[in-house]
Amino acid sequence: MLKEMVEKKATSLPCDSTTMTNYFSEDHPDEEKWADCVHCGMCLEACPTYLITGQEQHSPRGRVHLIKSVAEGKLNLNEAFADPVFQCLDCRACTTACPADVDVGGLIEEARGQVRKAMPLTGWKGVVSSFFLKGLFPHQKRMGAVGGMLKFYQQSGVQKLMRGSRALQIMPSHLSGMEAIMPEVGSPVQQKYKDVDVIPAKGTPKARVAMLTGCIMDVMFSDINQSTINVLTYNDNEVTVPKNQTCCGALHVHAGDRDTGRKLAKQNIEAFENDEKVVVNAAGCGCALKEYPELFKDDPHWRKRAEAFSEKVQDISKYLYDTGYEKPKSSIDKKITYHDACHLAHGQGVRHEPRQMLKDIPGIDYTEMSRADTCCGSAGIYNLTHPEMAKAVLDEKMKHVPEDVEMISMGNPGCMLQMAMGVQKYGRRSDIVHTVQLLDWAYQKDQKSTVHQGKE
Amino acid sequence: METKHNVSIEDRFGNRGTEVYKPVTEKEISDFLKKANEEGKSVSIEGGGTKRGYGGQGEAYDWTLSLADWKGVVEHQAGDMTVTVRAGTTIAELQTFLEDYDQKVSIDPCWPDDSTIGGVISANESGPKRMNYGSARDLVIGLRVVYPDGEVIRTGAKVVKNVAGYDMNKLFIGAMGTLGVISEITMKLRPKPKYESLVLLSVEEEEVDTLRSLAVSIQDAMIEPVCLELMNPQLSKYLTGREAYTLLVGFEDVEKAVKDQEGWMEYHKPASAQMDVKQEEDAREFWKAFSKRAPNALDQSDGETKVVLKTGSKPMEAFSIIKEAEKIQHEVSVQVESHGGLGHGISQLVVSGSEEGIVSFVDQLRKYAAKQKGYVILKHLPTELRKSIDPWGNYTSGLFLMEKIKKAVDPDHTLNHQRFIGGI
Amino acid sequence: MLKRKKNKREGMDPHIRSLMKIVGEKEILYKPEDLLSYDCDGFTVHKAMPKAVVFPENTEEVSAIVRYCHMNNLPFLARGAGTGLSGGAIPLNNEVIISMVKMKKMLHVDLENRQAVVQPGFVNLKLTHSISDKGYYYAPDPSSQYVCTIGGNVAENAGGAHCLKYGVTTNHILGLEVVLPDGEVIELGEAGVPDRPGYDLMGLLTGSEGTLGIVTTITVRILKSPQGKQTVLAYFDQVEDGSRAVSDIISAGIVPAALEMMDKTAIEGVEAGTYPVGHPPDIEALLLIEVDGILAGLEEQVEHILEVCRKRNVREVKVASSEEERGRWWANRKTGFGAMGAISPDYLVQDGVIPRSRLPEVLQNIYDISRTSGLRIANIFHAGDGNLHPLILFDSRVPGETEKALKAGTECLKACADVGGSITGEHGVGIEKKEEMRFIFTEEELEAQMRIREVFNPYDLLNKGKLFPTPSRCMDVKKIVKETVAVK
Repeated sequence: MLKEMVEKKATSLPCDSTTMTNYFSEDHPDEEKWADCVHCGMCLEACPTYLITGQEQHSPRGRVHLIKSVAEGKLNLNEAFADPVFQCLDCRACTTACPADVDVGGLIEEARGQVRKAMPLTGWKGVVSSFFLKGLFPHQKRMGAVGGMLKFYQQSGVQKLMRGSRALQIMPSHLSGMEAIMPEVGSPVQQKYKDVDVIPAKGTPKARVAMLTGCIMDVMFSDINQSTINVLTYNDNEVTVPKNQTCCGALHVHAGDRDTGRKLAKQNIEAFENDEKVVVNAAGCGCALKEYPELFKDDPHWRKRAEAFSEKVQDISKYLYDTGYEKPKSSIDKKITYHDACHLAHGQGVRHEPRQMLKDIPGIDYTEMSRADTCCGSAGIYNLTHPEMAKAVLDEKMKHVPEDVEMISMGNPGCMLQMAMGVQKYGRRSDIVHTVQLLDWAYQKDQKSTVHQGKE
Repeated sequence: METKHNVSIEDRFGNRGTEVYKPVTEKEISDFLKKANEEGKSVSIEGGGTKRGYGGQGEAYDWTLSLADWKGVVEHQAGDMTVTVRAGTTIAELQTFLEDYDQKVSIDPCWPDDSTIGGVISANESGPKRMNYGSARDLVIGLRVVYPDGEVIRTGAKVVKNVAGYDMNKLFIGAMGTLGVISEITMKLRPKPKYESLVLLSVEEEEVDTLRSLAVSIQDAMIEPVCLELMNPQLSKYLTGREAYTLLVGFEDVEKAVKDQEGWMEYHKPASAQMDVKQEEDAREFWKAFSKRAPNALDQSDGETKVVLKTGSKPMEAFSIIKEAEKIQHEVSVQVESHGGLGHGISQLVVSGSEEGIVSFVDQLRKYAAKQKGYVILKHLPTELRKSIDPWGNYTSGLFLMEKIKKAVDPDHTLNHQRFIGGI
Repeated sequence: MLKRKKNKREGMDPHIRSLMKIVGEKEILYKPEDLLSYDCDGFTVHKAMPKAVVFPENTEEVSAIVRYCHMNNLPFLARGAGTGLSGGAIPLNNEVIISMVKMKKMLHVDLENRQAVVQPGFVNLKLTHSISDKGYYYAPDPSSQYVCTIGGNVAENAGGAHCLKYGVTTNHILGLEVVLPDGEVIELGEAGVPDRPGYDLMGLLTGSEGTLGIVTTITVRILKSPQGKQTVLAYFDQVEDGSRAVSDIISAGIVPAALEMMDKTAIEGVEAGTYPVGHPPDIEALLLIEVDGILAGLEEQVEHILEVCRKRNVREVKVASSEEERGRWWANRKTGFGAMGAISPDYLVQDGVIPRSRLPEVLQNIYDISRTSGLRIANIFHAGDGNLHPLILFDSRVPGETEKALKAGTECLKACADVGGSITGEHGVGIEKKEEMRFIFTEEELEAQMRIREVFNPYDLLNKGKLFPTPSRCMDVKKIVKETVAVK
């Protein structure tokens, strides 16, 4: 029934009768992007969903082929097209593998926008999606409330009770899995620094940077935000936390809700208008900010502003690496491996910097993980919308995580949740940490020992 | 075309017709085959005549096509590292020609002075150095083949890399002349090594397993021997004067690299092993003697019956085959001279003794080889004995396809009828 | 609910239902939208829709599918990663595609005997990755080795940059398990034992482009990694100097592990791609030369190579100073084809082979073809093997340009055939070069090959319409004459 409706919709598209293409005329996938694809197939082995399904419609070149086919009028904007396009993790591993630099990620996001226009989400997926995407993430206060609830939940002992009881099983199994690895919640830096204009540098300030706090990051991982501020100020940067910033919109764009994406983008562009550098500690957000210009293809004014904005955005590890950071003297004696967040490695080309940061901390016994840059399956809210595939991708990922490491370091909150789930599922004993946290901890040790020395 | 009539077929190895034709042009080969095909004559094919004792259980042939006079280099471009040569050219003639260009065909079969390149390719003959350089199937890049109906078919091309159409070269390599007469062969060449040496390591019988371990570690090390051939004590006695298991480890490279590897051998050899190193000319002399040790069909002397076996196995199983053969020879009272390639899995055994002894030796060794998923075939034995032992053994997978191929190419069984496996 | 499902199945093509029974409901694609991704492989000029795509997981399933197709007169073909460049996996006859990608296990490694047993869907480079910790590797290294399957390599007899010294796929195959076009399973080269008596069917199957059988298990030779490697990069101001240096190196008695060449247009492409090296934009040609082997002997060989290059007026020549630098040079080379996407919307790659001493004149011919056709041609190729890869750059959106490109491609192949070369060194004939087979084979020679196909594939259901030109009139006439004679 649903399918019939969809087909009907797809065939009555506005531009269907006038041109060959089956896309809406606005913001459709960019022909220049797929023209570079020569169908060589070098992307296949990089694609997590192809590796699991073995089916080419779930491969980058297959998806590009389908996206092109819709433009050629061979395929409709229907469920059969939507499935492969939404099964994509948007991990961008194909972009790295592609010899011709085809922007598959960009095409996918544009195609998703088209699909969502043609066939808005219905059913529970629609509810979940609009709850998270529209009702929650863009609203700091609501996110704060959720954070508060989580905190209450964790501290009250209800969590223990829940985990012990059968109550959890009421939740869909993948959600209850998620619950088990929810991080301990601290207090958001947005609130903490709401009355502070500039957080001072430790020494003579060498630069001033603005920080994107992120919606989920600031609620669930506020300690990472704190660590980010700590390492920035420790290295003589002044830090500001602009008030009007909002959710980066990555998840919306991934989900095909490009209108909300644009709305959020505009708000952020304005919020950071006067800042020279925007530092981000969540790879997914950083990548989204850098790609804002993609959202304004049809709007020259905003495109220009978006381009200027995206120039200013930098991942925390890259920023520290480029501007120089003090090498800690205290050691952290742990066996550590590093997981490349897709949107850091493939999305922003940041691979070397965080690894170097880890290696610069004395005592760290660093082990490289095989296929470190393969997606863990988190992919924004992918683990909520495609739990089975996300699970399969995670299982595959866990095969490559060395068993004996004490910590797995990475630079993205989504990955941290997903990897925590993997660690728990496989009974591993590794802690999940953000790279910047390790640096912060080492600095803290340094400070403590200087204090000690001072006393003696 | 020179023709000899009423050739005696009463010799010990058979596989000959009553008339022998010796063409000197390809057209003559073609006309001859066409005629034979039309007149329903059966034809045996030979080059140097060394392999007449190889395969064939049927009756005598009507005619023999000898390619002994169809010889010479047709084309050679030093920069291309390829050579095109007529089938009747002997291996030695070809190598001598290439010597002037510091090149060689990297194939080292028995009897280079008598064996023709056509025969070597048709019988897929090889020597110890195939471990590094490969066998005929790795070297042949193009052929001109005269089909039974006289049609000349080219396969492959004069280029080192080619996937146009089926790799028809493969069909004729080792086909024992049952599908067509190879007229011209184009092969890949290699530069003559700048330096060569041969390390011989001998140990007493009870120590032989140390050679196996050594062979394993040689292959696991980053040295690059061109051969890793184990000789049994009898063959070693003949070639080196030392009656002991001897491992032949050859090196061919620039001098510095060869010396470096000799050093490796010196350092890693088993404590009890006697090590000799033959360099350059000495090494070449050794290989010359090595290649002439097995009997061939040119030797018509009446002495004791000698047969030549070829076994194939997984590379390291060659070791156990050589050892097992030692055991069996004592049980059935025959004498065996053997060598086996631990890097390629082909072994050759010369067995002499009474006919019953030989029959039972072959039978037992076949059983043993089968257990290792290997095989034993007979490369050289008198006609009489071929009646009691099938030179090819009994089973090969895909035989029905081979029969169909034979039927498609040579429907009238004109060429080397019944010379090959399964009576093909 | 149950009833509806049953109804749905009832409306289904009965063949799909039967195939579904063999592989299971999830392992088959049959809806047009799902099949669309299978309408071509790495060769995109021709497209055709398959009837279905099935994903068997073992030999028995492959055999059952093939037997079913055979019994029901359904055309079928096998497909691996679909990276083939000649269209060998394009379902011209609405074939059932048997995708081998789920048969991707490594079954066995035997280091002592230097062999490994893999399923056909196993990816080429994974083999090397899974044995490299022990110091071993698998030699054939087609540029698509990151993704292409060993089964596909067997079908195409794949080559690669390092086959100058180590040979192509056929030189590394020790055994094959094959499902014949009627479903029967045979084993060739059991246990990887060499020289099994009988015709070399394994050699015949390798490179038969999936027209004789479907390979389901492969035993390959693995090699110990060389002790040392040295990689040299040489920049030339004249193409001719570069191509003469190629022959000089070989004639000097050096067997490089690889000897690759790129010309100016190719360099422009790779520098615009994902892995730029920083080659000077104004050089006319570069050579990438690698020697490997015993460390003690490498220096001498490298010196020799440098000397040859200098004699040929090299502008700059350098030796890779680290594994990282070497890796960058190779990534730049290996992704070369795809990188052309960055400077041209479409390209057509040809694959002619020539005796390497004819390199200068044939390259000149190719430049002439480029000039007359008005299309840019980039050359990025295995110079040491004489295996050319002219990449004809075009824009299929410009009317008539595709035809022009195809014509230029054919002319390049003719130029190769005219100097005694071949029309394909490693990409295969497929659909693409069917007609060009006539450049190098006579009717009789083609017929001799087709007779072999008839032996294996008498009903021509397996990968029909590939590899051989459509029979010409001359051939038909001959057949008729033969038949009439027979009747008389």
